[in-house]
Amino acid sequence: MIIKVKQEWLLLTAFVVLALPPMQQFLEQSMVTHMLVQIPVLAIIGWMLGKKLPENWKSKITLWNRWGITGMVLAVIIMTYWMLPRALDAAISEWHFELVKFVTVPIMGIALSLSWPLLHPIAQGVLKLEFWATFMRLGWLYLDLPDRLCANYLLGDQRILGQLLLLGGSAWAVAWTLRVMFGTRIVKT
Amino acid sequence: MSSTAVASGKVEYTDSENRNALFAVKAHLIAGLSVFLLMMLGGLTMRAAQGTWIEIGVDLFYQIMTVHGVGVVGAAMIASTGVQWHFLRKYVRLSNAIFWTNFFIFLTGVVMILGSIFLGGYGGAWTFLYPLPAISMGAWSTGAAAVFQLGLLIIGVGFLILYLDFGRAILARYGSLARSLGLTMLFGKEPVDPAHPKAVVASTMVLIVNFLGIAAGAVVLVMGLINLYNPEFQPDAMLMKNLIYFFGHVVINATIYASVIAVYELLPRYTGRPWKTNKVFLAAWFAIVFMVMGVYPHHLLMDFPMPAWAMITAQVLSFGSGIPVLVVTGYGALMLVYRSGIKWSTTTKLLFLSMFGWAAGVIPAILDAMVTINRVFHNTLWVPGHFHFYLLLGLLPMIIGFTYHLAGEGDRSEQPKATDSLGFYAYLIGAFMTSMVFLASGANSIPRRWAVHMEEWVTFAQVGTIAAALVVLGTLLFTLRAIFILPGAANPR
Ligand code: HEM
Ligand SMILES: [Cu+2]
Repeated sequence: MIIKVKQEWLLLTAFVVLALPPMQQFLEQSMVTHMLVQIPVLAIIGWMLGKKLPENWKSKITLWNRWGITGMVLAVIIMTYWMLPRALDAAISEWHFELVKFVTVPIMGIALSLSWPLLHPIAQGVLKLEFWATFMRLGWLYLDLPDRLCANYLLGDQRILGQLLLLGGSAWAVAWTLRVMFGTRIVKT
Repeated sequence: MSSTAVASGKVEYTDSENRNALFAVKAHLIAGLSVFLLMMLGGLTMRAAQGTWIEIGVDLFYQIMTVHGVGVVGAAMIASTGVQWHFLRKYVRLSNAIFWTNFFIFLTGVVMILGSIFLGGYGGAWTFLYPLPAISMGAWSTGAAAVFQLGLLIIGVGFLILYLDFGRAILARYGSLARSLGLTMLFGKEPVDPAHPKAVVASTMVLIVNFLGIAAGAVVLVMGLINLYNPEFQPDAMLMKNLIYFFGHVVINATIYASVIAVYELLPRYTGRPWKTNKVFLAAWFAIVFMVMGVYPHHLLMDFPMPAWAMITAQVLSFGSGIPVLVVTGYGALMLVYRSGIKWSTTTKLLFLSMFGWAAGVIPAILDAMVTINRVFHNTLWVPGHFHFYLLLGLLPMIIGFTYHLAGEGDRSEQPKATDSLGFYAYLIGAFMTSMVFLASGANSIPRRWAVHMEEWVTFAQVGTIAAALVVLGTLLFTLRAIFILPGAANPR
């Protein structure tokens, strides 16, 4: 019980630290940390929070979340929205968009953690693949587009992000290959 | 070894599951054969147009060429998947629902593609080579090119779903793809199990290469779509071409490796002899995984910016591509049939023909994969010559042979009727001639993908038209048989 409370407090602290100006501004200085650190960490906080929800909440939500479909749709919509460069721009320049981001991204995490295990394994596979392909497509786009996508970030930033996305996608592909070919697990899930 | 006993055991399904599965396989075969037939009529039309016997507009020619290419590739995929799924499900537990899901997604994609071609006028060939779809100079709209690529994308997603199910089922039974592919046996980690199902080995190979091929296709199709609507995004054309041909080559090649399962499963039945799995067999299938994926740069031999090492690899691999599996399969098939007292039915005749067609078709393919020859033959009709050879005489006989098996020959040892024999020989002679005329045209430097042929070339096209008519006749007889007899046929034991 004590540990449980502690973890929730930790999550809350992490959230507050991310939201307070020093950290918030530091991470949003560059497109790379904005997209690859701040947003994923917010989502992870949501994911862990989802695991910690009281059982009776969970069972109530499950009624509305048959096979995890509702939650996944919500998560995908939020994810797609925050992949739009203009959404990131808006979050930087206007405080209410920033607020929306700090609320919706953790919600996406919660939705994911509640819905993912309920999802049909094949649907999980399709989503993982689609997510992987998105990494590769976006990485390629960021590398090749002649113009900046975000008004707030430099072209160089966009290029680095592109490279990192391609690198991440490739590492993921290698890990997957090892797993299905030889049963080697690099990351335990 | 207890695990060996498990490995060769069969999966149990309920009766209704089995009935539904058989129905689904027949739906795949009938859909595939009907599309083949229609596309062959398209081929006949193209040949007749090139031979000046009929007159069609140039834009219509390219629409027909596009629908022909994409249609036969789609039909080959859906029909060979039917063959593969039918046998694979005996060894690993596959889901009927997923099989049907892919089928209906496929049909949706087909409708989109047909619309884009015949309503939207898209005629940029099934290879949608960037940046052609975006620069039609008014022949088709951006929307038409987009719907075509979206249709392909949707079909790809359907197949990925199906392959996820294959992968899930194979992993559930064998633990890893290395094991189902037989690598553990090949490298001595496990004793060789002569009963290790060939359907599982072949399916693992197909699963690996097609998964990667379709994944590459999914990325490149979306990049093409983005370019259509966002012309300032100009992806590297060479990279796009690499991905497109990787996708295209792998996907069409894999259909043969999926269909050959019918040979492995059916010849032992008809000859009454077992076909044991051994290390040579496993080694061949292991090699082919890399070969099928590594040879695609033979489509890019004339692209000078390509790195030399890729070209050399492609050329070296192309020499041997297909050979390992071809040799173990051809030799194995001969050994099974030799003095077995086999009764020649249409099924066995077709399966045997497929071995010949595949083997012989590879020869012109290898020739063309040599840089010095490619310099002359690149983009001549030599290219359609080699692939029509092993698709018409290698791939289709496997699929049609399997259809005959399901249609009754497998069960009541039904004798071929006169129409079947007529169909067989019309098909055999026609297909052989079709391919040879293409090859001869290529040897005479007649270019491929030209709607209008020069006067000196017209005779070739006219002979080709006659040959095409024979193929159409044979296929018509086969397809009628499939449509009328297949639906009611019981499952061969
Ligand atoms: C009666 C049978 C057939 C005839 C007469 C025929 C005829 C043709 C013709 C005339 C072309 C265009 C050649 C050119 O570039 O000028 C073509 C292309 C092609 N055919 Fe066939 N074909 C037949 C069956 C098939 C089958 C069964 C397959 C595959 C399983 C197939 C696959 C292809 C492919 C992939 C192309 C390339 C299209 C492109 O260049 O984009 N054909 N065929
Ligand atoms: Cu090729």
